Amino acid sequence: MDWFYKLNVALLIAIGVIVLSMIVQHEMNQSRTVAAQEDSSAALKRKYEQQMAKNAWLYKKVLVLEKKGKLNEAMEELHKILAEHPSDAYGFVLEARLLYRQGHLADAIHFYRKAIEMDPDYVDRKTPLYIGDEIMKVISNSRAKLHRERKLKPGDPKIKAAIDDIYYLQRRIAGGCE
Amino acid sequence: MFKRFLDISLIAGILLGSGCVVLTLLGNPVNSGICLSCFLENLAGAMQLHGHVRMSYLRPELIGFILGSFVMALYSKRFRVTGGSSPVIRFFLGLFIIVGCSVFIGCPIKMIQRLASGDLTAVAALLGLVFGVWLGVRYIRAGVHLDRDRDLPRINGYVFPLFAILLLLFLFLRPSFIVFGQTGPAAMHAPVWASLAISFVIGIAAQRSGLCITGGLRNLFLVGETTLFKGVVAALFSAFVIAYLTGQFHLGLYGQPASHMEHGWTFLAMTLVGLASVIIDGCPFRQIIKAGQGDVDAAITCFGMLIGAALVIGWSIRSTSAGTTFAGRVAVLLGLMVCLAVVLFYRNPVKVPRRTRGQARIKGAVGSSQ
Repeated sequence: MDWFYKLNVALLIAIGVIVLSMIVQHEMNQSRTVAAQEDSSAALKRKYEQQMAKNAWLYKKVLVLEKKGKLNEAMEELHKILAEHPSDAYGFVLEARLLYRQGHLADAIHFYRKAIEMDPDYVDRKTPLYIGDEIMKVISNSRAKLHRERKLKPGDPKIKAAIDDIYYLQRRIAGGCE
Repeated sequence: MFKRFLDISLIAGILLGSGCVVLTLLGNPVNSGICLSCFLENLAGAMQLHGHVRMSYLRPELIGFILGSFVMALYSKRFRVTGGSSPVIRFFLGLFIIVGCSVFIGCPIKMIQRLASGDLTAVAALLGLVFGVWLGVRYIRAGVHLDRDRDLPRINGYVFPLFAILLLLFLFLRPSFIVFGQTGPAAMHAPVWASLAISFVIGIAAQRSGLCITGGLRNLFLVGETTLFKGVVAALFSAFVIAYLTGQFHLGLYGQPASHMEHGWTFLAMTLVGLASVIIDGCPFRQIIKAGQGDVDAAITCFGMLIGAALVIGWSIRSTSAGTTFAGRVAVLLGLMVCLAVVLFYRNPVKVPRRTRGQARIKGAVGSSQ
């Protein structure tokens, strides 16, 4: 074993000890990291709570009108809000609900898709925003009617698009890594 | 008789197939209990190689596979450090394999799980993969093979397992520069210890058996050898049985999780995966296992796959439930072009004496059935 070899081994051991001590020191501060992780989970929970509170406040009038069954007025009010907040996914969820109640199945399904593409949390079971069950109910009530309409009007692009939207929504709600 | 029937390849296949479904039951995304391409996309996100937080998680399964393979190779004295066979070509073919997987939305193992769960959209993928491997076998017969590897200093073989140990440290210490997404697929995961244990056992069995999805098909087409193929069938069958028993089997074409209806592109994407895997000798899973047992070329392929995983997210190459993307379609065609270029440059027809030339031409010709 010559001096060159000895020197290198010594350096290797020294650096190894330094790295190990750094890791141990970091491990001792682990409680702080765990606390930070808890903070981030809490922050996420708070974010959703804030988002839901904001939705309830922003769309208060629409929700009241919808509850009273004044669907046309609710839709007008909703369009005013959407003109100011065009990238708010919840607005499109409400639009889909109103259209469904008005009997416009294809449009309702299209707006559910739009909302999900804007905010995938609406089909994420782990978030409080999840509306997968509501969409599946709409799909199961609409599917047969849309398939019947496709047979009656085979070339209608709107019905074809609605059926594509149904399949898309089913795939998204089914889960998977997306 | 029983011992002969239950060879290590079958055991590895059963472990792999059942592991896929069990990991899904424990929390991994639906039909994605084990998916090398998805896991590498998650890893790339965790390492901040792309910015899609919903796809950022350090999957313990990758670590388990590498360390299982490493430990088994050391134990069985099969840890042989080799490399130096066209590393840059392997890097880019690894990258394009992930491109193909991402356009289909899944690696060959996920394809098996999707088939076993009744997802009929995966049939196009199976056909594409089989065609790609068949094509690769034709090229092998025509004299196409990457240059021979050679023994390398032992330290080269330790790099990839050390990388896995580093990832394991990151997984438990959770440093701030490693991103763990809290929504979407990133939040869908089995308990860490369960993932590590299951994948470690699969890694051990896969190292011992040489299990490889494309390798099984290649050996079947090339020499009619069925050992690895039996493992692939065992994986499919065991995944099907467990999926059926646990209510995860939903036969159908529509409404399948993380799938799309562009079957032509699915076919081409998996043709790319099959062909590239035959050229570099192994599917993505096999590359991970080989990298753990000291194969430096496979390690380089894995790093190519990791970069590919980052690019497919960052450049919107990956398909979604809405279908393939323009970038994805172009990337698949580019990948096929790269494969064909490699094939052209590496063709090494058998040199034979003049008097037997006619006979040799038949043996060496592209499209020969021999």
